[in-house]
Amino acid sequence: MSTKESDKRIELLQGTLDLLILRTLLLGPAHGHAIAKAIEFRSDDVLQVEQGSLYPALHRLIRRQWISVEDGISENNRRAKFYRLTARGRRQLVVETSKWDKLAGAIARILQPAEPEGEA
Amino acid sequence: MRFRRSKLKDRMLEDFDQAIQEHIETETLDNIERGMSTEEARYAALRKFGNVARIKQQTREAWGFTWLERLMQDIRYCVRTLRKAPGFTIVAVLTLALGIGANTAIFSVVQGVVLAPLPYRQPDQLVIVWQKNPSGRNISPSYPDFQDWRSSTHSFQDMAAIGWQPYDLTSPGSPQHLNGWQITTGFFKTLGVNPVAGREFSAEEDQHGGAPVAIISEPLSRDRFGGSTPALGKTMTMDGVDYTIIGVAPSGINFGGVIDVYTPLGQGDPITVSDRRTHAFVAIARLKPETNAAMAEADVKVVEKNLGALYPKFDQGLSAGVVPLKETLISDVSGTLLMLFGSVGLVLLIACANVASLLLARATAREREFAIRSALGASRSRIIWQLLTESVLLSLTGGVLGLVFARCTVRPLLAAVPGEFPRAENVGLNPAVLLFTLGTSIAVGIIFGLIPALKTWKANQQSSLKKGGRGSTGGHHHTQSSLVVIQTALTLVLLVGAGLLFRTIRHLWNVNPGFDAHHLITFKAALSPEMAKTPQSMRSAYQQLIGRIQKIPGVQAADITTLVPLSGQDNEVPFWLGPEEPRSIAEAPRAVSYAVGPDYLRVMGIPLIRGRFFTGADTVGAEQVIVIDTALADAYFPGKDPVGQSLTFGRVGSFRIIGVAGHVKHWGLGNTGASNQKQTYTSFYQIPDEWLPVMHVDATVMVRTQLNTASLISAVRAAVYGDGNEQPIYDVRSMQQSISASMSSQSFPMVLLGAFAGLALVLAAVGIYGLLANLVQQRTQEIGVRMALGAQRQNVFQMMIGQGLKLTLAGMAIGLAGALIFTRVLSSFSHLLYGVGANDPLTFLSVVLVLAVVAILACYVPARRATRVDPMIALRYE
Repeated sequence: MSTKESDKRIELLQGTLDLLILRTLLLGPAHGHAIAKAIEFRSDDVLQVEQGSLYPALHRLIRRQWISVEDGISENNRRAKFYRLTARGRRQLVVETSKWDKLAGAIARILQPAEPEGEA
Repeated sequence: MRFRRSKLKDRMLEDFDQAIQEHIETETLDNIERGMSTEEARYAALRKFGNVARIKQQTREAWGFTWLERLMQDIRYCVRTLRKAPGFTIVAVLTLALGIGANTAIFSVVQGVVLAPLPYRQPDQLVIVWQKNPSGRNISPSYPDFQDWRSSTHSFQDMAAIGWQPYDLTSPGSPQHLNGWQITTGFFKTLGVNPVAGREFSAEEDQHGGAPVAIISEPLSRDRFGGSTPALGKTMTMDGVDYTIIGVAPSGINFGGVIDVYTPLGQGDPITVSDRRTHAFVAIARLKPETNAAMAEADVKVVEKNLGALYPKFDQGLSAGVVPLKETLISDVSGTLLMLFGSVGLVLLIACANVASLLLARATAREREFAIRSALGASRSRIIWQLLTESVLLSLTGGVLGLVFARCTVRPLLAAVPGEFPRAENVGLNPAVLLFTLGTSIAVGIIFGLIPALKTWKANQQSSLKKGGRGSTGGHHHTQSSLVVIQTALTLVLLVGAGLLFRTIRHLWNVNPGFDAHHLITFKAALSPEMAKTPQSMRSAYQQLIGRIQKIPGVQAADITTLVPLSGQDNEVPFWLGPEEPRSIAEAPRAVSYAVGPDYLRVMGIPLIRGRFFTGADTVGAEQVIVIDTALADAYFPGKDPVGQSLTFGRVGSFRIIGVAGHVKHWGLGNTGASNQKQTYTSFYQIPDEWLPVMHVDATVMVRTQLNTASLISAVRAAVYGDGNEQPIYDVRSMQQSISASMSSQSFPMVLLGAFAGLALVLAAVGIYGLLANLVQQRTQEIGVRMALGAQRQNVFQMMIGQGLKLTLAGMAIGLAGALIFTRVLSSFSHLLYGVGANDPLTFLSVVLVLAVVAILACYVPARRATRVDPMIALRYE
């Protein structure tokens, strides 16, 4: 049905977001807002994530059992859902990271003009 | 797994709203910390979060399962749009209801009669074992032959024989005529059916001189004894003999007629049971699991060949055949039913074409709607899915209505079939039929929905947006035109089939049966047990019965016969001419033999060609005399006078021929071929003492009268049984009913094919009308231009009519080719067509004419509308 086209969109955008979420959770469990903040902070505010789009990604990761969810209390004493990396998620992070590295490397090689040898 | 996931999903989505609120509030607090004003902070947080509704939707989608929600959404949307177009919806649903309903009705008959297994254990193992006469026809075996088969073959687990034997029950309760079977021991075991109560006959009971015991049917046990268990051990009196009830049979046993009572075959009259010439029994057997009908047939053939060597006089020249039970029961109708099922499928196709056509017209009008939806971001597949949802919704609604339609028509339909329809009691709207209807509805919805949906797929959305509502139309009309061509073709095929059968029936009604079938009523009357005690008392009982009936005012003539023409009954007796007995009885010629009273020819209106008929003096003791029919006379006495010659029946002796009577169509009005046409008449009152008890059960009273059936029968009751002795009168029939029944194999398909063809004609007319009306509407502007440029109304009219007729002619051309194939199918069924060739030019010509007239009528209204186009208005229409 209609998911075909939107899936493509999600793969591209969300795929990256998934990787960022998994990487953030490697440091320890966090709630939604904290994850958004962490991504912004750690990328020196270069990556402006539309915060809402975090949630479909989180739900998808839960469904794939890469992260798990538990109830907890946030730093300002509110009830919040905390997301935690699972063993499967940890393995997936390795896969995704190496994939990303390959992709980034490939794109970088294409974008950087060939430089004369020896000058580097 | 799926279950766990959906629980997890519920938990996650449960307080999702709250989680979003928390998130936004936290962000707002952060913003305030950074120095924004409260209001500014909140707006910034909301902006940063994004579109809440979209996020929620995407989150829900992350869990999958949204197809169900989306389907519900589509359905709600469809219901809304369909409600806005009630005219379209009603026409589409009704068209589909007729198509699907007719298919459901026919399928329920096909399913119940042809497809459903017989209600016995492993019914595929059950076969009927026949004897084959020298001309290759299956005939009933004699009981001694059956016994030899049972002991000498090795292909069967069990084998049982059945003989027809009616009884007159006199106690307990009021007198009643019972349909009965004589059965051998092991009959129920062969079928794999257990008695409801009690047991089968034992081997001791199944022989001459055994105790009088009976097994009765469940309904009879309820009727007379209040239940199956109470009936056991009770006594009931049939034909003056007290039988002890030892078992109750389930009511599911049905080989084409409900059986009330079973008695042991071995106790039957020795004159039939111990005689190898009396072919009057049916052998049913259960194949061993490792064998099949063909192997079993080879087995029985060897045994039968040995019997031929052992008993050359009786069995020489006979062979054997093994036929599956189901085939035996339904072979008469299964071909016809499948043909009808195919035909009703064509009706459904025509209905589909109409609805597809309607949907196409609607899709044209809705192109802008789709363009807008697609511009707003709906994907094409989504729109097509939506269109399919709409068409399947339509067809399912049509299917539900169709079920109602089928439910209301099937029973009356089967009841209207003259004569008996095998396994009719098995027909109903069972789960298999419901599944068929559901499957058909969905398949049909997809088929007729896909055409417009794919058209829409191809349509260029942008161009239709620009066109401001007129839409692109050329392609749609092309498809619609093809649909009309197909409809016309299919309709022609059905009309030709119905036409041929109609002509067949016309021919059959005009066939002279050899007797006057009007004002002729037949019935059977039981003799009281006292009267049936001796052959002599039987004879005088029948004489009195006939005498009293003849005196009833309004009765012109009445007499008795043991065999009724066109009733489907059979009594063929081997005979020879001259003193020389043939080497083998099996190879001797046979004659259809009637034993009748002296007034029979007058009652029937059969002409006497030569000599004399019987008188009251032709009784036992007098010289044995016989009357032959013209067919026998022509075959054996060509150019000679048979009167005075002699003819011999093996077991009764020699007869002097005293007369020649006209030939009677015994087997059916259209039957001229392989069946035995030679006929003889002997005097009922000359039947020898030993034969009378066997033959009198077939005695039927024939009455020629202007009275109607009901008043005749009450008059007969009053005249014959006035003094409180109520003997049953049964099998009351008018000869016209028998003639109708003899034609049922043609009239049943004719009525149905006629109905289908009529339905198809209406649907096709609607299709042509719809197409042309649509065309006129789409071309209003063009017509306006033409008329403004000087075209006459007449020209416009001709143009539009021409367009419709062109399609009709194309359809008819294709249909003629299809009809030629269809008529081959019809003529491949034996006896279906009579007196009319498969390519009967008159039928083809009239069908083409009818179709053309209907097409012109269907074109007329829209074409007239086209001529009324006002050029000014049409041009401003843009």
